[in-house]
Amino acid sequence: MEIVTHFFPWITNGPLIAVQVMSGLSVGMFLFLVSVGMSLIFGVTRIVNLAHGSLYMVGAYLMVTLVDVLPDNALRFWIALLVAPIGVALLGGLIEVLLLRRIYRREPLMQLIVTFGLILIIGTLVLIVWGPDNKSVSRPDVLAGSVRIFGQPFPSYYLLVLALAPTMMVALWFIFYRTRWGMLIRAATVDREMLGALGVDVSTLYTQVFAFGSWLAGLAGALAAPTIAVALGMDGDVLINAFVVVVIGGLGSFAGSLISSLLVGELQSFGILIFPAISIVLLFALMAVVLIVRPWGLLGRPEDGH
Amino acid sequence: MTGKGPRPGAWLLAAVVVLLVAPHVIPTFFVMLFIEIAIVALFATSFNLLMGFGGMVSFGHAAYFALGAYSAALLVKKVGAPMLLALAAGPVVAAAGALLFGLFIVRLTATYFAMLSLAFAQIVFTVIFKWTAFTGGDNGLLNIWPAAFLKSPPAYYYFTVTLVSASLWALHAVGDSPFGYALKAVRDNPRRARFIGVNVRRHQLVAFVISGFFSGLAGGLFAFFNGSVFPDFAYFNKSFEPLIVVLLGGVQSFFGPLAGAVGFKILETFIARQWPVYWPLVLGTVLIGVIVLLPQGFVGLLERRPWRSRPASAK
Amino acid sequence: MAVTTGKREVVLEIRALKKHFGGVQAVNGVDLTVPRADMRAVIGPNGAGKTTLFNLITGDIQHDSGVVYFSGNEISGLPPDQVCRRGIGRTFQITSVFRRLTVLENVQTALLTHHRRHYNVFARAARLYRDEAFALLEQVGLSAQAPKPSGILSHGDQRRLELAVALASEPHLLMLDEPTAGMAPRERHALMALVARIAADTGLTVLFTEHDMDVVFAAARSISVMHQGSVIAEGEPLDVRGNSEVQRVYLGQSKDR
Repeated sequence: MEIVTHFFPWITNGPLIAVQVMSGLSVGMFLFLVSVGMSLIFGVTRIVNLAHGSLYMVGAYLMVTLVDVLPDNALRFWIALLVAPIGVALLGGLIEVLLLRRIYRREPLMQLIVTFGLILIIGTLVLIVWGPDNKSVSRPDVLAGSVRIFGQPFPSYYLLVLALAPTMMVALWFIFYRTRWGMLIRAATVDREMLGALGVDVSTLYTQVFAFGSWLAGLAGALAAPTIAVALGMDGDVLINAFVVVVIGGLGSFAGSLISSLLVGELQSFGILIFPAISIVLLFALMAVVLIVRPWGLLGRPEDGH
Repeated sequence: MTGKGPRPGAWLLAAVVVLLVAPHVIPTFFVMLFIEIAIVALFATSFNLLMGFGGMVSFGHAAYFALGAYSAALLVKKVGAPMLLALAAGPVVAAAGALLFGLFIVRLTATYFAMLSLAFAQIVFTVIFKWTAFTGGDNGLLNIWPAAFLKSPPAYYYFTVTLVSASLWALHAVGDSPFGYALKAVRDNPRRARFIGVNVRRHQLVAFVISGFFSGLAGGLFAFFNGSVFPDFAYFNKSFEPLIVVLLGGVQSFFGPLAGAVGFKILETFIARQWPVYWPLVLGTVLIGVIVLLPQGFVGLLERRPWRSRPASAK
Repeated sequence: MAVTTGKREVVLEIRALKKHFGGVQAVNGVDLTVPRADMRAVIGPNGAGKTTLFNLITGDIQHDSGVVYFSGNEISGLPPDQVCRRGIGRTFQITSVFRRLTVLENVQTALLTHHRRHYNVFARAARLYRDEAFALLEQVGLSAQAPKPSGILSHGDQRRLELAVALASEPHLLMLDEPTAGMAPRERHALMALVARIAADTGLTVLFTEHDMDVVFAAARSISVMHQGSVIAEGEPLDVRGNSEVQRVYLGQSKDR
C-alpha cells in the first residue's frame, strides 16, 4: 500500500481524482466528436476518412481567424464557435463533391490512399494560409477563470465542454432517431442499394453526411482551440487518438465511440499525472490488448473493415 | 514478379559502369542526388516487399525509416559509437519495431492495417518529438557525420550505392526464394495458402520484419548523409514517399520502385527546392490524380498484363 | 493410431458436431464416419450445411460442440494450416488458385510448404521440386500449361490445378467442395474419373460435396445425405436413391445443377 501511495500520491486525494475524471471527460468529448464524425462517414459511405484529423485542425485554425477578425465583444467567441464548424462542413462538402464522389466504387485501399493524400493537401493549405507559427485562441471572458470543485481548481472552460457534451449527444440521438434525415442515414448504413432503389437521392445524402461529419470534426477543433496550441501537427496528434478510439470502439458504432472516447480521455488525463509521455504507451497497450482480444473493437461488427 | 528486362546482363553491366564512373564525371550536386535516389529506392523497394509481394499496404513505413535513422544517430551522439556500428544497429532496431508493431497489425484486413500502421508511425513521431531530453525533440540531433574515410561525397556515394545494391539484391533473392513464393501465395489467396500449410500470420509478420529491416537501413544511411535527424523522418510525408514512388514506378516489377525513385527525386529536386512549402501539396495531388485516373485499382496495378480471365466464381 | 470399424480403418470420424450462426443452426449434430479408400459424396439441398461441415472439419470456422477425429486423433478446433499438415487436403467451392503465380509455381509452392521449406529466404524456389511438380501436373493433365499464369486458365483447368495443389500436400483424406461446379457435364465426369483414378492409385480417401446427381451416382461409393444440418440417410448409392425420406427432401429440387 505504501508503494502505491509513493508512486501515485494522488490516489487517496478524492477531490483531485474527481477533477481529473472530469477533465478526462472533457478530453473524451473532443475525441467523441471527432470519432463520431469518422464513424458516421464510414457507416454510410464506407470510406475511412484518414484526413479527419486535418478537418479538426482546420476547425481550430478557423476559430483563430474568426476570433481575430470579429469585433471584440462578449459574443465574439460564441459566434466564432458557431461559424467555424460551418466552414469546415463546407470544406468537407467540397471535398466530397469534387473528389470522393469519383472513388466510391473503388477499392477501399484506393480510397484510403486518396484520403491519405488529403492529409498532405489540407496540411499544406493550412500552412500556406496561416503560416508556420503557433496560434492561440483565448477563452471567452466569462469562462476564462476556474471554479472550485471539491476544493480543487478546475478550468471553467471545461465546464462548457462538459455541458455541451450531453447536449450534443441528445442532439445527435434526436437527429438519428427522430428525424427523417437521420432515419435515411441509419438506413444507408444498413443497405445503401435498397435506399437508392427506393428513390432516395443517395448521392446528395452522401455529401450531407460527409459535411455533417466534417462539421463535427470542425466543432471539436473549434472547441479545443482555446485549450491547446493551435499548430501544424495538430492533425497528427488527434489522428492517433481518433484511430485508437475507433479501433477500440469499433468503426461505425455510436455507442462504441462514446465509451472508448471517454476511456481514452480518462487515460490521457490520468496518464499525465503519472508521467507525461506515458499516455502514449498506455494508449498503445490498450489498443494492443483490444486488437488481440477483439479485433473488431468492443462494439464493432466483425465485418466492418476487419 | 518474374520480370527482369530483356538481356538483363547488358543492362546490369551498363548500370554498373555508369555508377562506377559517375562521381568522377558529374558535378557533386548530382552525386548527392544519386545517393538520395539510392536511399529512396531502398526504402521503396523494401516497402514493396510488403505491398507488391505480400499484398499489405503500410501507411506508416516512415516509422522504420525513422527508427533506423534515430538509433544510428543516438548511438553516435550518446555513446560515441563508430559509424559502421551505429549504421548496423539501425536496421536491427527498425526490425525490432516492425516485429513489435507487426504482431498486432498483420492479422488485420487492409483498412485496419492501413489505419493502424499510420497510427504506429504517429506514435513513433510523437515519442521522438516529445522525449526532448533523449531525442532532442523538435531540434533533432545534429552533427551525425560518417566516418572520416567516407566523408567525401564520392566516398559516401560508393558506400551507399554498394550497400543499396547489395540490399536490393537480397530483397530480390527473397522474392525468388521459397519464402517469397509462399508470400506471393498468401497475397493471392490467403485461404488457399493456409490449406497448403502456410501459417499466414507468421509469414506476413516475417515479411513485415524484413521490410522494416531494410527501411531502417535506408534511414540510417540517410542520417549520415543528411548529417542530422529530425522527428519528421517519422511523419506523414515520409510515409507517403514509398507509396507514391511505388505507384509511380510500378508495383508489379521489382525495379519499379527504383524507377519511381528516380522520377520522384527529380520531381522533388525541381519543386521542393524552389517551393518547399508546396511540395506536400504536389505530392498529395499527384498521388490522388494517379489514383483517380487509374481505373484498375490495386489488383489492376499488380496485374498490368491483360489477364482478364475472371471466371464467375473467382473472388 | 488406426481405428478400425468392421473391416476397414476409419479415416474420418465426426460425432455430434454442431455449429450455429446467429439464430440458425447450420450444423445440427452431425455424425459421420468415413472408412479408408472410400469415395464418399455428401449431398443435400442448398443450405443443408455441407460447406459449413467442410469448413468445420478443416478449421476455417470454430465448432460449438462435438468432435472430429482424423485417423484416430482429434482435430476439432485446429487451425487450417495444421489440419493440412495432419494430412487433409481440400479444394474450395470457389476456385482457389494462386492467380498471379504460374501453374508450375502453384504446385511448387504447395510442395515447398509441405516440405517445410517455406521460410527459406536463400534458395531459388524456381529450381526446387520441379520434377515432383511436373509429375503432379501430369497426373491432372496440365503439364503443357506449366509456364502459364494460372489466372488465365479456363475454369475447368483451374479446378484441375487446384486438385494438383491439394495433392501436393500428400493428403490421406481429400475433401472436395463442389469440385465440378461450373463445368460442362462431360468435364464433370472426366474430373471425377480422374479423382477416382488417383485415389485408387494412392489409397486416398475422398470426401466430396456435389449437386449433380449423375456425377454422384457415377462416382461415389457411398453417400451421406444432409438436410437442415444433420445427416438423414447414409449408405450405398442405390440404397440412398431408394430411400423415401431422401426422395421427399429432394422433391421439387432439380436433379441437375
